Amino acid sequence: MNPAQEEILEKLLEKVQKPARYTGGEMNTAVKPIGECDVSFAFCFPDTYDIAMSHLGMKILYHIINKQPWAVCERVCAPWPDMGDAMRREGLPLFSLESRTPIRDFDLVGFTLMYEMSYSNILEMLDLGGIPIYARDRSEDDPLVVAGGPCAFNPEPLAYFIDAYMIGDGEDVMVQLCQTVRECKAARRTREETLRALAGIPGVYVPRFYDVAYNDDGTVRSITPNDPCAPEKVRRCVVTDLEHAEYPETIPVPFTDIVFDRITLEIMRGCTRGCRFCQAGMIYRPVRERSMDRLLEIADNLENSTGYEEISLSSLSSGDYSCLPELIRALMDRYREKRVSVSLPSMRIDNIVKQSLEETSKVKKSGLTLAPEAGTQRLRDVINKGVTEEDLVRAVTDAFDSGWSSVKLYFMLGLPTETDEDLRGIGDLAQKVVGAYFSIPKPRRAPGLRVTCSASVFVPKPFTPFQWVAQDSLETVKEKQEHLREYLRIKGVTFNWHESGLSFLEACISRGDRRIGDVIYTAWKNGCRFDGWNEYFRYDAWLDAFSACGLDPAFYAYRTRPFSETLPWDVIDAGVTKEYLMKEWEKAVRTETTRDCRKGCNGCGLQRWKGACPAYENARGV
Amino acid sequence: MKMLAVFEKGARLRHIGHLDLMRAMQRALRRSSLPIRYSQGFNPHILMSFAAPLSLGAVGLREVMEVSLDGNVTAEEFSRRLSQALPPDIRLLSCRPVEDAHKPPMALLRAARYRIEPRGECSLTLKDLDAFLGKASIPAVKKTKSGEKEIDLKPMIHELMLNDGKIFCTLDLCEERSCKPELLLNCLCSSAGIPAMEARIVRLLLLAEKDGAFLPLEDA
Ligand code: SF4
Repeated sequence: MNPAQEEILEKLLEKVQKPARYTGGEMNTAVKPIGECDVSFAFCFPDTYDIAMSHLGMKILYHIINKQPWAVCERVCAPWPDMGDAMRREGLPLFSLESRTPIRDFDLVGFTLMYEMSYSNILEMLDLGGIPIYARDRSEDDPLVVAGGPCAFNPEPLAYFIDAYMIGDGEDVMVQLCQTVRECKAARRTREETLRALAGIPGVYVPRFYDVAYNDDGTVRSITPNDPCAPEKVRRCVVTDLEHAEYPETIPVPFTDIVFDRITLEIMRGCTRGCRFCQAGMIYRPVRERSMDRLLEIADNLENSTGYEEISLSSLSSGDYSCLPELIRALMDRYREKRVSVSLPSMRIDNIVKQSLEETSKVKKSGLTLAPEAGTQRLRDVINKGVTEEDLVRAVTDAFDSGWSSVKLYFMLGLPTETDEDLRGIGDLAQKVVGAYFSIPKPRRAPGLRVTCSASVFVPKPFTPFQWVAQDSLETVKEKQEHLREYLRIKGVTFNWHESGLSFLEACISRGDRRIGDVIYTAWKNGCRFDGWNEYFRYDAWLDAFSACGLDPAFYAYRTRPFSETLPWDVIDAGVTKEYLMKEWEKAVRTETTRDCRKGCNGCGLQRWKGACPAYENARGV
Repeated sequence: MKMLAVFEKGARLRHIGHLDLMRAMQRALRRSSLPIRYSQGFNPHILMSFAAPLSLGAVGLREVMEVSLDGNVTAEEFSRRLSQALPPDIRLLSCRPVEDAHKPPMALLRAARYRIEPRGECSLTLKDLDAFLGKASIPAVKKTKSGEKEIDLKPMIHELMLNDGKIFCTLDLCEERSCKPELLLNCLCSSAGIPAMEARIVRLLLLAEKDGAFLPLEDA
């Protein structure tokens, strides 16, 4: 940023909300001068600073890139609309937090894709950065725009805008990608040549090297490579040795409040419980644990370099970590003197050990969050959520007995095969939780019972056994919400539900094809951004965008897709095979459950990759 | 023992609020591995305090804080360890050990010296300042928690001058009475009959009073 721009920025910061989001200068962020590095990477998070800075993946990759002596990574967040408008008005280009360099001056501009409803922000950020939005319009001087994260598993909706995708675990592929760009830059390769080189990296998908053909009914006929550099299928990256994988030794410590203002310890990656609605459970397989020694080492590094007061354990299902109580105890002993508290944000109810509850509550008592997802055992079997009512009641009784008084219960509405019976079941379950509270003698329980039931609307996701199913129509969802509200009229219970229009659009985009890109572009042109934020979500503008592009949203959300259909994301090999997902769907319909594969391999597909799945290899005695 | 420390809150951190700055300092103290002390109770906090909050948007060149410590720590060691742990835009400038019984800086604070830098052209003249100071009283409306209050600024202004388009002033800043530099600027502009100016505020120095004279707070 030049001095004139600095001046403008200073003026804008006087006027906008939460200016501290844009100031940078946080502890552990002073990185090397961009000019002295061979490759520069602008790590863009398409949401506000407070959310971006709570995201673990960003911290890991930020650390990994900056660890390369020849590379530098700086952070960029989406400016809130007041700031975005002001920047556009004043001609101030989107800049990085560290050195306030305009993003178009970086070699690489990378987006992390956490949720579909942040896509309009990606377009907004490119535009604010002065980078052509469509990849085909970019010139030799423009940065390469790359992306990764869970939503990249269906890369098609953003295929027009992203030059290259990294699919799967980012630790290794990120370095390879930067290294390749470095070499291409040194050899003065053209943009096209560089992209060809990138397409050769395992796990990298370069949309322009694939042609999509459609059938007359609008479904995808084929996705085929149009260049020898492009593989038939792009195989997801898997970090097989999590123990020795890079983990930050330092992380930025924001000045202002962010959502998760603490140290996050990723104790393991992946989940093999096999919940059938859960994309994360499928695309992060297999389960890989970090050892206790390694975790304590990481915790020490981070505690010393950040001064944080809280450490939180993170994974898809922390309760499954093999020595959880030992780990919690070790962390608490280690940091008692330093007054560091230890918390467990996500916990499965079937193995909450009373002991670890007590251990954590000694230091800090936050609300207990449980996710039964469905109201009846039948439906829980359909979705393969291995939790029984007994588990739930035992867990909350234990919690109430140890002094907790507020419980949050998460459910999903509109799951395949759901009937009114299942909605009633949610009411019954909530009633039983209330009963569990009153079963504890008054002097022993904490006052002020609060049971919060949240019901989100089910969104079918790629690479799950439910990827072919139709979403409930908006009318049906509304009806169900009304019923549920009736069933949850219980003293002490509050019911939260979600904007159903948002879930509908999420369903359209998450299983969308390349043509959805034009819809996203049109919606953004019509002023959509921050769609994930209630105050900015404009449902009608999105519907207008669909009709302007001649596409029917119902085609994407409400249609049951036959097994034979080519899915837009078939070009990606996520590890879990289509055959396995089909088998799981058929079992779901038959209300048959599938065991956790740590008790025996279910043949999900990861066994095809040598060394990828420890559970499979162990079972084979390799 | 306690350490009395002087630090700078740099321009980049202008928009970081008082509580956020306190937390940043507490985390720096935790990183420094200095023998800090904690309060008792369920939610222990670090025993440290700032002399006075700095208003949002202002820069502080010599802010003062005190930190309670266990055992004996020399000024050199404190300075070395804390400096390493501070983010680049908070700089430790000096420190000195004092007895536990030493009055906290908050209690000794009496006034502060500011530099007010109007954005754009400064149309105030020396004459305007003289006329302003020549008044018998300078009534102003101060916003307080309980509403608005009519006050007289005159006895709260200890110094007021104009240099190179910037205003330098020393104003009361203590529990009994205080005048914000923004308020002073507004009154000054309306007295001079010119439109209100936007300005950048730099707090230069915090002051205590001894035998009727001001001295830097950290020396008191
Ligand atoms: S390969 Fe077998 S053991 Fe490994 S994740 Fe898949 S089902 Fe589980």
